[in-house]
Amino acid sequence: MAAVSMRLPAVRAPLDSSALRGGEKHLVAPGDTITTDTGYMRGHGTYVEDDKLIASVAGVVERVNKLVCVRALKARYNGEIGDIVVGRITEVQQKRWKVETNSRLDSVLLLSSINLPGGELRRKSAEDELAMRDYLQEGDLISAEVQSIFSDGAVSLHTRSLKYGKLAQGVLVQVSPSLVKRQKTHFHDLPCGASVILGNNGFIWIYPTPEQKDDEAGGYTTNLEPVPLSDREVISRLRNCIMALVTHKMMLFDTSILYCYEASLPHQIKDILKPEVTEEIVLEARQRLLDLEG
Amino acid sequence: LGVLHPRTAITLVLQVLSDAGSLLSCCLNAACMALLDAGLPLTALFCGVTCALQPDGTILLDPTARQEQEARAILTFAIASSERKVLMANTKGSCSVEEMQQCLAAAQRAADTIFQFYRDSVRRRYSK
Repeated sequence: MAAVSMRLPAVRAPLDSSALRGGEKHLVAPGDTITTDTGYMRGHGTYVEDDKLIASVAGVVERVNKLVCVRALKARYNGEIGDIVVGRITEVQQKRWKVETNSRLDSVLLLSSINLPGGELRRKSAEDELAMRDYLQEGDLISAEVQSIFSDGAVSLHTRSLKYGKLAQGVLVQVSPSLVKRQKTHFHDLPCGASVILGNNGFIWIYPTPEQKDDEAGGYTTNLEPVPLSDREVISRLRNCIMALVTHKMMLFDTSILYCYEASLPHQIKDILKPEVTEEIVLEARQRLLDLEG
Repeated sequence: LGVLHPRTAITLVLQVLSDAGSLLSCCLNAACMALLDAGLPLTALFCGVTCALQPDGTILLDPTARQEQEARAILTFAIASSERKVLMANTKGSCSVEEMQQCLAAAQRAADTIFQFYRDSVRRRYSK
């Protein structure tokens, strides 16, 4: 019989973040005036009233040149064109699929926006419509890119490249979209032996690195071979590291995940989720990231 | 702000774990913090303040259950953070118009303390 360890709730000492925090954050609450200067464009999380720019969510003010937006800590995903997302098919409709991407409305994947198996490019006919369920069923996970945004905020996806498509074996981690850092590429092959897709919508997909660079069927064949134990351990460790980073609200990108993974190697995989081990790993990762910058 | 949520209904479920008086304003404050935590766009923050009017005319803010029972009238106000506008007023018992104005003024002053508490909580969340 395996032993069970239990913990009683206790007051958690606040992490000594003042030494490691870089720069002052401009925190606002709904109803706070951000600026009265009319030269700024308003982004997400703001609204204009009487020539004043007012925040509508509680969060940090981010300013990029003339664009001001307020980023809440935990909010639904707001699509931007060109983002990579990982989503799950919820419905199969007449000429499109509805994909769940942690946003306010279900995203749309049009039949004309996918690559057919075999990589052929042709006009979709009526037979293709009837065979939609053969390509993608309800419950499938896909990686896609945001093509455009409808006027009501729903996002339209496309998988018109061989690197997007149906995802096979791996682990999905759902985090808040504000924790995923925007980078040039979101598909990473980590040197520890697994690959990771950091979806901008907060869905992170960890999977074993495929041996050969597949340029086969355009991403529709699901590889259902058994995954070896060593790969599975790497994937579990990565998943626990990501959960550790999320509890300490650190930005997720390939370097931070890698440093956290390396810091966690001395511990057992299941110990990473214990609060004191989490703190230790995250502190070490944070320190290495600061050394990298400075 | 309404165009951000087309064809949407937002439902808030509040569960009372223990009631020590001022239940309605407690629910209002909890609802506002829940909306803040969920990241839903709001035009302004809001809070609830309860005033109890005692038989001798003194105003008591945030009364306990015992003080509520002894009071002549109980007034609950929902106050928004933008220019302390009154969103809702709920009265139980009878009071004169001047007394209601006095209670309202006291509630608006108290609302500032509650809004400061909201900001401190959000700040603590962000610096964890």
